Amino acid sequence: MDGLYPYIACLSGAFALYLLLRPGPLVVKLLGTVIGFCTLAWLMVICSQTVPGSFEPGRDILFLVFGAIAISAAVRMITHPRPVYSALYFVMVVMSSAGLFLLLEAEFMAFALIIVYAGAILITYMFVLMLAQQASEAENVEEAPLYDRLAREPASAVVVGLILAGTLISAMTTGLSHLPEPMDQNGMNQVHGDLLESLPRQLNEAVIRSDPDAVWPPLEANQKSVQWDEDGAYVVSGTDVIRIAPESMPTNTQHVGWSLVHSFPASLELAGVILLLAMFGAVVLARRQVEYGEDELRVEVGLEPMHPSEDGDGDQA
Amino acid sequence: MTLQLAVTFSQLSLSHYLVMSSVLFVIGLVGFLTRRNLIVMFLCTELMFQAAAIAFVAFGRYWYDFTGQVFVIFILTVAAAEAALALALVVLLYRRRSTLNADEWMELSE
Repeated sequence: MDGLYPYIACLSGAFALYLLLRPGPLVVKLLGTVIGFCTLAWLMVICSQTVPGSFEPGRDILFLVFGAIAISAAVRMITHPRPVYSALYFVMVVMSSAGLFLLLEAEFMAFALIIVYAGAILITYMFVLMLAQQASEAENVEEAPLYDRLAREPASAVVVGLILAGTLISAMTTGLSHLPEPMDQNGMNQVHGDLLESLPRQLNEAVIRSDPDAVWPPLEANQKSVQWDEDGAYVVSGTDVIRIAPESMPTNTQHVGWSLVHSFPASLELAGVILLLAMFGAVVLARRQVEYGEDELRVEVGLEPMHPSEDGDGDQA
Repeated sequence: MTLQLAVTFSQLSLSHYLVMSSVLFVIGLVGFLTRRNLIVMFLCTELMFQAAAIAFVAFGRYWYDFTGQVFVIFILTVAAAEAALALALVVLLYRRRSTLNADEWMELSE
């Protein structure tokens, strides 16, 4: 993915986004959709041509599929005139990025994302949306409030986005070549072996499962017992080498949990405090009663109401 | 069934994930600038959080370091706290003026 291709793709994507955002007839929006999908397909072709080494269908095609779903759902989310549908499209973005997390072998985060984001945070958003926009909104899109249908200055916003995208991509293409090499197989086995070292009970079970007759533990305490090489981790018991089966290796959840509790205990406590304070703040803020809406107050002191049309049904207290 | 242990994650795959996450981030930014609905603006910030989380997890996979995923847990925490507080504020604002239009509160910026 070198040269000018990413920038040209950004440009045409930005144009499509502008066509979708600006108020206009359906034909223009259709044109924007077509240009957007063409850009997306072109990007996917570029990506699949440069996929490293052997083309691995399970991983690479799924990456393209999840990426395309995430990007198109995100675009639909910011262009949909009705906020409830925006929230639903955001759920779609969350689902497909959970799929990307699965491809990145972050299983725990994938499911935590679905449970916490799609399950909890988005439901809160839906509650507030439905609380705020009650039955007044009809099924017809044309009935949606004007501020939801009209984008605010789509041209300058798209230009800002284009500049940001170009900067990010050029920073990445220049920066990626300076990155150190990725972790190789040996290093990954070391990461697994190190964690297994810290989990004595699991190590014990792993050794017993690999070799039921093993004399275990063979070494004195406080001596490192798990070794590793290109093929995986093993333990040395006397003169025997006992390979640890891949199934007995620490899982992603164990790695994340260990990293969280072992390396960042203070941050964990801090996160708890942040959540607690947010809960207090939300309770304090939301229970304050607003006895009069602003229009009623203005009428009380003899000013013109700000929304004359909604004056009649002023029961928002 | 044998469990396939991790294979090395190349720079090229990393760049795909990074491009993907920056596109999502930019879409979130454009949405934040163009939408007028307070709640949808906050949704767009959540989209930007999401993009950052993808970049974190991709870098974590690149170095096989689980700190990236741990950071995503903290992103989730901050997003939940932000949602709680921001939505409480939006409910307050809505009770006052019975609209979600951000332009109605333009004088707050003056």
